Amino acid sequence: MFLITELIAFLCANLILTRALGTSTMFIAAGSRKNLIGTAAVITVFTTIGSAFAYIIDSILPQSLDDIRLLLYVAATGLIYVGLLFILKKFSGKNFVKYRRYVHISAFNCAVMGTIFTVSGTAENMGFFGYISAGLEAGAGFVAASLILTAAYRRLNSKRVPESFRGFPAMLVYLGIISMALYALK
Amino acid sequence: MDNKKNKSHEWLELIITLFGLSVVSSFYYGERFIFLCGVCIGVSFLTEIISIKLMHRKLTSDCLYSIADAMMISLMLPAVFSVKSAAVACIFAVVVKNIFGGKSNTIFSPAAAAYVFMLTSWKDDLLKYPDVNTKYAVGEKVKEFFNSASHSFNMEGRTGISNLDLMLGNFIGASGTVIIFLLVVSAAVLILRRGISAGAFLGTVIGTVIMAFIIPATDDIIESAKYSLCMNMTLFSAIYIISDRRTAPRRNFYAFFYGLFTAVVSYVIIATTAQENAIVIVSVLAAPAALGIRNLENKIKIADKADEKREAETVEQ
Amino acid sequence: MNNEKFSVFSGLWKDNPILCSLMVISPVIVCGDTLRNAEAIIYAFSAITLFSVTIASFLPKNLPYAVRIIINALVASLVYIPVKRAAQEFFPDIIPRIGIYFPLLAVNSIIILQTEAKFFKMKKPRMIASTVFYILGFDAVIAFISVVREIFGHGTLNEKVISTNAVISGLGQPFGGFIFLGLLCGLYRWLRHGKQLSGGDKNVSDN
Repeated sequence: MFLITELIAFLCANLILTRALGTSTMFIAAGSRKNLIGTAAVITVFTTIGSAFAYIIDSILPQSLDDIRLLLYVAATGLIYVGLLFILKKFSGKNFVKYRRYVHISAFNCAVMGTIFTVSGTAENMGFFGYISAGLEAGAGFVAASLILTAAYRRLNSKRVPESFRGFPAMLVYLGIISMALYALK
Repeated sequence: MDNKKNKSHEWLELIITLFGLSVVSSFYYGERFIFLCGVCIGVSFLTEIISIKLMHRKLTSDCLYSIADAMMISLMLPAVFSVKSAAVACIFAVVVKNIFGGKSNTIFSPAAAAYVFMLTSWKDDLLKYPDVNTKYAVGEKVKEFFNSASHSFNMEGRTGISNLDLMLGNFIGASGTVIIFLLVVSAAVLILRRGISAGAFLGTVIGTVIMAFIIPATDDIIESAKYSLCMNMTLFSAIYIISDRRTAPRRNFYAFFYGLFTAVVSYVIIATTAQENAIVIVSVLAAPAALGIRNLENKIKIADKADEKREAETVEQ
Repeated sequence: MNNEKFSVFSGLWKDNPILCSLMVISPVIVCGDTLRNAEAIIYAFSAITLFSVTIASFLPKNLPYAVRIIINALVASLVYIPVKRAAQEFFPDIIPRIGIYFPLLAVNSIIILQTEAKFFKMKKPRMIASTVFYILGFDAVIAFISVVREIFGHGTLNEKVISTNAVISGLGQPFGGFIFLGLLCGLYRWLRHGKQLSGGDKNVSDN
């Protein structure tokens, strides 16, 4: 019973379904299992490490310099971006060209930046591990939303769907209905 | 041949059972319900025709599914619900269904999607009901609204309804979802005629009963199971929404677990949040799970065919 | 010459960033429910995008792709500072209205990705003109969506009550934004392509 209520709460807090953050990237992720695993893994890494950096920045930055918060978040994300590319190049060898696109599309994505801002905005009593777990939760939320979309992906791109709505428009309506059901449960 | 005939007239069996519920509802609520039902049917059918024409598709008997969906929607509403809002919801149901590719590509039950749409847009109007057996004329202002019996059951764990009233639907709630006797008969007819998924229906009922035993809503476990099935549109949803052949998994084995999962989750939500008619909302959320199971069934089917082909080739050799 | 002219205006209709490419849709879905919110987003998006793209176009082209992306984002974050200060000074209620979407507009995909894919391959005057029309295309769509959603979702227009009879309150919620945007994208495609759809989606398959 606890698991079910936690699952519902987790879905209700999903950044994609409730705040539309990272929707375009999710459309790419839902296209195939390979894309889903690649994009979800990279997004989760970005949101988790990005939240850790956000904790450090929030701890150091005084309120009077709030204007440069975005600049520092972007710089941190840039560091993660370069670091990930470097690690990928070192360990994936010939597959670097194949896998680097996941890093490119995930880096300055709404899902990543939105997570960092959301975590920062709701972080009154959260410590370092609180930030990290919030980042992990956002990544898991992206995976959950992508799985929800993957289940319907073939149908939404089927020839039975009217041409004008085939693909992205139908996906938006589909996500809207799922989001509507979650809103009804709140 | 008989299977093909059955498949193409599933909508007819649904309409016949829904018609029975509508007749009894009109007995309780009079011309107001008849008008509401008529508007829902008219608007849905017209929207379906227009959608089909815009998509340059042929009109087939499958278009009549929209009538079944419209009747389901009208039976899930208070008899005095705004006709304008009901019409908008019916248009929404048909448009969404056709955007996703029509009957053969349905993702959500149109009635469930429309109900959730109304719940999020007109919640106050949707969950207030007139007294049962109070007939209002079209356009007449409703004197007093009441909470449904489901609401009382969710909040207090008791309803004070006699078994006879329960069977005949003589208590406050959505017009057609409370006539328990007729719902049971409809379920039996539709299962025997294969108009609905037997696995999904049984899964939903058994799931609700098991949860009522594990987390009883009342002191008496039997009473808890009885009211859990009769309240919150559980039985109606088990028949017409979760067991809808358009959306439920095809094989009864998988459909059973799909129904069980939906029933368990909705029971927990009702127990923890007292959300009225949660099963309808959960059926929309469980649609991706049903789709995932259908994808799995397709893969199994393809794998089985490949195995058969290989075996046949081996035998030939 | 006609082709070049055509591509400068393409952001307005043919290659509209929201309806065609589904870029920057988060603020449209969540905040695009009232005209006032739309004005805030239009101001932030237009100012940040135009200045960021123009300034970033002076960067050397021979840098590695990832470095260029990061610098584009950093430039946009720097441009964000005066835009935010101006908003605080002259339109004080903008930032509370759109919350986290204000800074998120600074890292929108037009600045980060579209610049590398399209804008920086053009000559400067055409690039600026093209950017302006992309911005106008975005502004027009979000304004339209916000007006419709405010009228039918809240029964108001620019916070003045119009009618409460035809209110569908769900339209003002994020899920209403998803559904309405999906329907609008479908309508856009139907208007642009009519009976045929050229260059449709990938992975079109039978069920």
